[in-house]
Amino acid sequence: MRLLQRVTRAVTALATGLGLSFRVMLRHKVTVKYPLERVDVSNRFHGLLALPIDPETGIDRCIICFQCERICPDRCIHIEAEGKGKERVLTRFDIEMDKCCYCGLCVEVCPTEAIVFVPHYETSTYNRSRLLYDLEDLRRSAPKEPIARGIVGGMRR
Amino acid sequence: MLNMGPQHPSTHGVLRLIVTLDGENVVDVQPDIGYLHSSVEKMMEHRTYVQNVALVDRGMDYLIALNNEEVYCLAVERLAGIQIPDRARYIRTIFLELNRLASHLVWLGTWAIDIGATTVFLWCFREREMILDLFERVTGGRLHHVYFRIGGVYADLAEGWVEECRAFLDYFLPRVDEYDTLLTENPIFLARTKGVGTISRADAIAMGASGPVGRASGIAYDVRKAVPYEVYARMEFDVPVLTDGDCYARYLVRLVEMRQSVRIIRQALRELPGGEIRTRVPMTMKAPRGEAYVRTESPRGDLGIHLVSEGGETPYRVKIRAPSFSNLYALTEMMKGWKIADIIAILGSIDIVLSDVDR
Repeated sequence: MRLLQRVTRAVTALATGLGLSFRVMLRHKVTVKYPLERVDVSNRFHGLLALPIDPETGIDRCIICFQCERICPDRCIHIEAEGKGKERVLTRFDIEMDKCCYCGLCVEVCPTEAIVFVPHYETSTYNRSRLLYDLEDLRRSAPKEPIARGIVGGMRR
Repeated sequence: MLNMGPQHPSTHGVLRLIVTLDGENVVDVQPDIGYLHSSVEKMMEHRTYVQNVALVDRGMDYLIALNNEEVYCLAVERLAGIQIPDRARYIRTIFLELNRLASHLVWLGTWAIDIGATTVFLWCFREREMILDLFERVTGGRLHHVYFRIGGVYADLAEGWVEECRAFLDYFLPRVDEYDTLLTENPIFLARTKGVGTISRADAIAMGASGPVGRASGIAYDVRKAVPYEVYARMEFDVPVLTDGDCYARYLVRLVEMRQSVRIIRQALRELPGGEIRTRVPMTMKAPRGEAYVRTESPRGDLGIHLVSEGGETPYRVKIRAPSFSNLYALTEMMKGWKIADIIAILGSIDIVLSDVDR
């Protein structure tokens, strides 16, 4: 009798589980075939960093205030400039993307929205030296329109 | 004697268990930790208060980044006497509970696959992915957000996010019932978990177990009820307490917690006020000389931070009270006298994250 009870219990449990699994199988599937299909990331996504070009002036918006360099917890931003006063030009803007922790503090402190996130996430390379992004790389990786914005003097979406 | 780990797939990270065996019976278990030590406490002494938010995210428990940010921000806010706006408090509560759901889903999935139920693993990660998508829409990050700031949160909720979140909760509750159907009554699952790995209430208290492990042993203690932070005092929710103290009780407690989390999020979304989301705090903030200890209820238990300030831009000393660490020490008591196959079930049931144990 006990054996019969146990058998009934096992069969019921199996039937319940399989029944539910089968019902779920008929639902809409949620997976994508990754390299062929991709999912969209949100426009706030913390992807690569970039220095977008201002269409009015034809150059990036960086005013060389060194705030991003100072706030970076991993100290992965290196900035150098030449000249004095208004003549100052950016000579070096390196980001070591292998050190970057994608926290977004640099995007937050930037007073002119010169540094932004772009929703690009496939950054793996075969060589570590290629993860050092210099000024050229950062300008090139910028989208035509800034996507994730910094916050200027209060709350801006 | 048997070495389990540090590279054993069932130890959820790099934990080494030195198991003394008598045949198949476990005589003694000594956990050997420290393989994932990242010295986050020391590193925090060299970074400013603002930068540290990015560090607690990944240096501590990586599955509950927002809960880590919360406890750290609360400690700094208490130290510096910063008040945060009401809307920010509600947003924080919503995100903490969503993170609790995500963490419990990872736990349920990995534990179920440990004891042989593959389907639950895939289903749990399916739902967790949706929570991560909700996070990404607002914080920009999926695991590491750096979303909470000292004095509030970084950005307001995205447009239409509240509706998306509601839709997810409506979708999620029936899914919890599905896990219930697959596991709770299943005779194989019952045989693996019911009555296995028991720990008495007195032992649990002596070992400092907290969170779901403690509540499954009859310790009716939840920081959200005992010392409410953010807006938990205004929320209606139950704290599940069971007295069996076995793996099955720990599973039931977490299942109920998931449902209660949904209840809290729904209330918070309904009462969500408008207004500011952040008090202005300078990026180079200095905390006044003093000490603060803050405790919160993380998905694993009582998570606390003790912060000592000498008045500078960086903390003088930080001590993290990690719930996984205390729960791990309850493990030795739980495992004595069980078979070697039960080790995996018991280890999985206490839900430790090794980066939280070693810090």
